[in-house]
Amino acid sequence: MRIGLLTYGGYPYATGECGLWCDRLVRGLADHEFDVYALDDTPGRDPRRGQRGLDGPPPQARRVRTASPWAPADDGRRYGRRDRRRFAGHFGQLALGVCDERADSFSAGLHGLAELAADRGGLCAALRSETALRILEAACRAPGARRSVRDASVSDLVAFADALERALRPLSLDWYGGGDAGLSAVDLCHATTAGPAALPGLLAKRFFGVPLLVSEHDVHLRTHYLANDGAREDAARTPVRALLAAFHGRLAAEVYRAAQLVTSGDAHARRWQERSGADRAKLRTIHPGMAADRFAGVGERDDAGDPDTLVWVGAIGPDQDLVSLLHAFARVREQRPAARLRLVATEVAAGAGAACLAHCRALAARLFPDRAQGAYETGGNPVSFEDAGGPGAPGLPGVYASAGVVVLPGSAEGFPVSLAEAMFCGRATVSTEAGAVVGVVGGTGLVVPPRNPEALAHAILGLLADNGRRRRLGAAARSRALELFTPEQNVAAFREVYLDVLSHSPGRPTAAVVGAGGAPLPFAAAAEAHVPVRWAEEAGRCVVGAGAAAGAGGRDV
Amino acid sequence: MASDASAADARARARTGGARYGREAAVHTGTTPDGAHAPRRWGPEGTGAAGTGVGGSESSGAGAGRTPPEPAVVGRADGGRTGVDRSDVGGTGVGGTSVGGIGRAADTGWDNGGDGGDEAEDGGDASGAGFRRGAPRGTADPVKLLLHRHRRLCESAVDPLEIAAGLEAHGLTDRAALSGFRHRDVFALAEELYARVPHDGEAPGPAPVTRTARSGPASWVLLTLLPGAPAALTLLALCHLEGPARLGAVAAGACALVWSVAASLRRGPLRSGGRPARAAGVWAAWLLAYAVCGDGALHALLGGGPDAARHPDLVPLVALSCAVAPAAWCARLFSVQARRRLAESRSLADFAADTRPLLLAAVALYAVALTAIGLLVPLVFHGRVPLGPLVGLGTLLLLARLLAVHGFPGAAASGLAAACAAEALAAGSVLAGRLPGCAALGAPAAQLVRAWGA
Repeated sequence: MRIGLLTYGGYPYATGECGLWCDRLVRGLADHEFDVYALDDTPGRDPRRGQRGLDGPPPQARRVRTASPWAPADDGRRYGRRDRRRFAGHFGQLALGVCDERADSFSAGLHGLAELAADRGGLCAALRSETALRILEAACRAPGARRSVRDASVSDLVAFADALERALRPLSLDWYGGGDAGLSAVDLCHATTAGPAALPGLLAKRFFGVPLLVSEHDVHLRTHYLANDGAREDAARTPVRALLAAFHGRLAAEVYRAAQLVTSGDAHARRWQERSGADRAKLRTIHPGMAADRFAGVGERDDAGDPDTLVWVGAIGPDQDLVSLLHAFARVREQRPAARLRLVATEVAAGAGAACLAHCRALAARLFPDRAQGAYETGGNPVSFEDAGGPGAPGLPGVYASAGVVVLPGSAEGFPVSLAEAMFCGRATVSTEAGAVVGVVGGTGLVVPPRNPEALAHAILGLLADNGRRRRLGAAARSRALELFTPEQNVAAFREVYLDVLSHSPGRPTAAVVGAGGAPLPFAAAAEAHVPVRWAEEAGRCVVGAGAAAGAGGRDV
Repeated sequence: MASDASAADARARARTGGARYGREAAVHTGTTPDGAHAPRRWGPEGTGAAGTGVGGSESSGAGAGRTPPEPAVVGRADGGRTGVDRSDVGGTGVGGTSVGGIGRAADTGWDNGGDGGDEAEDGGDASGAGFRRGAPRGTADPVKLLLHRHRRLCESAVDPLEIAAGLEAHGLTDRAALSGFRHRDVFALAEELYARVPHDGEAPGPAPVTRTARSGPASWVLLTLLPGAPAALTLLALCHLEGPARLGAVAAGACALVWSVAASLRRGPLRSGGRPARAAGVWAAWLLAYAVCGDGALHALLGGGPDAARHPDLVPLVALSCAVAPAAWCARLFSVQARRRLAESRSLADFAADTRPLLLAAVALYAVALTAIGLLVPLVFHGRVPLGPLVGLGTLLLLARLLAVHGFPGAAASGLAAACAAEALAAGSVLAGRLPGCAALGAPAAQLVRAWGA
């Protein structure tokens, strides 16, 4: 099958954990072909810069096409009178849909603009023209417009028109037609976000009937809100932010409406998708996989760890609540004076992270006086700050192996990676309830409310006192992690999702074969002609054996 | 201590999170008359925590540390121990608050230091209340505390969803919203917060003026002063040279003039920003050519045929090339003032009404400058320059360039083409007047020339 992968930022140069997941997906599904269509999301970033040492795309990724909406685009075509009227009509519908909460003309306007761009081109210049500004102004001053966009000034409209043109750049790209080299030739569009990067998928579905699948790890609308919050110094004015938020919200709703299946990485993202208008029957949760082979040794050892060691692993930053962890550890020390706490930092966030580290060190020094073995020995603090990869903690598996209980008191955004790693190592965990933690842990670890050192201390003490309970919880955690968080299950789940989506799509409308006299001949085209499978395989794969060949044929679908 | 019996229950409850226990506790004690979400019997810690302002999560969590069977004893014991702890931590209650303040201030997240300071005070209140046994401090409105804490977020939000994103980034979950605030999930809580914050038309701050990156203020100034030099030098050379040297001087001067004009148009306020205005350039070249030698040609035509090529009059060309600098200055003045009005105006009609007099003023200023140059140049070069056509041509070229710079290259090209067509029409009508029987065609042009002198 040919899959069109629509991402931000190019492959394998996509941003963040989405890039790693894309990489794992493409490498895992080796018998499909991937065409990557990537939209650049930050201005001035070199799309060819590698990320974290990933080497080039695997052979399954046949084609990588990138486009940057930050590059000036103008194909020099201008509209005549009739086209201008058409553009005004469609753009007016889109603007009304953005400015008015109750209007539902957004999708009609968007698709009208897409058709106009496909017929005539020149949409970029038209979106930046004075006509567009007049239409936007009329929509903002319309009677049913939102309250926050009503007092948009001219510079606000100009700023919003600029951002809108950049967001609608995919409508003017040449990714669609072109026979074998465009989105018309793929069997399935897989968008990794519900933002403007999914616009090609919308258009492919509209023009060519290609089914659309959306998978999101960070919901685009949520990251948009967090990135454009009004409390920053260089934030835009309220009308601009209101218009942008409305546009992205409507676009997300349209993408969810057009998609056949929408998957999310955890229940946290799923709530946002439901809220943005996705139909509940279309939603699936597929946990992202993470490479966990290095933890297998620790996880299979079936010991409960050192009953006096607590471990925290994570990135030191302002959103990690180490202060309540230190207070809780103080209470734990009262009951178990031999306990020690290891704070292993995988990275320190720049600026605020260093300040946090300093505060925590000061707090630890104040709470826990140094303790020595004897009267003539050098003492040490029961709380030790270490760096992952440093001499004290050469490898994370060793760190987890030494732990009796792994504590994670931070407010985790996104997927809590260290929690999943602790589960792979078979260690009992105590974490605070934030984000997707409850969905990840399930019933295999303790969850306490955030910012509550007493509850944290109670939970830790209860676990440290009971070896058997720690071992049982750890084993349950490891089996849950193996069931849900391995890359194999992620890839297998997506393979099934692809089959599911493709089986429900009506298939490409091929021209009906007509016989003599013009009547269409039924059964003239064999059913195999509609199946998107490469029948010509390389010789090496066919020779393996009858059963293996049948298995290979089945896997090829 | 009492914690042995309570530890088992606390463990059981801690596993499912404090929220459920918060609800159970409310069921045990019944809802208090003022609807306090923290049961009052749990002593000062529960209510003190409610007064902390971190929302209901902490109170429900504090509830998880208590057990129903022995409320008063455990509450007091825990309260005493926690009170001792707080004093132990910092030596005094004040020390406790200072440590708590540091911890909270370090945890910036969405709030800045101001809110950390708020928390320090509230922590002080709690520790103070910790020593006041049984004084009810339950608040009836936990959402108000949350609103106060996230005041900046709520006021600057454009959408309930933005508030929900901010609350989730700060760690609030559905369970906390349910237990502490009696809302179904964070979205419903965000909608209440959005509804409660006054969003009445804030006074819009001045729009941020975007500074376009300039390549240094001096470069385009020097470049625009450039075209005057080759033209003047060529004219001087023509006055003093004879013979084939004249041709060489003319050729060199023409090349230098063209190059300098192109360079001055590539940068600075007359830059047309990547939109090629080729057609307009062609028509402008035609107009200049007519300005140089067209008058003489018209006179010759009227006089009965192109017998002898009149001496081409280069002085207008010199005047025009010296006027490139004032043109650039006028264009820059116009664009700077127009941008300022763009930032201040509230609607497109306002902007248009503000900018029209500005455009007229800029063009008039250029016309005045061109007139001054047109008066000075003949004094230097001993030529004669008809002022009216010169100023008209210069203004036309400036208008065309402004149109091209600000996004209407088509209009610029068509305007210049119309002017070329008018001149061609004049010359063509005179020529056509020579055809037998069409003497009437040549009459209007001849009359105009007689009246105004070409």
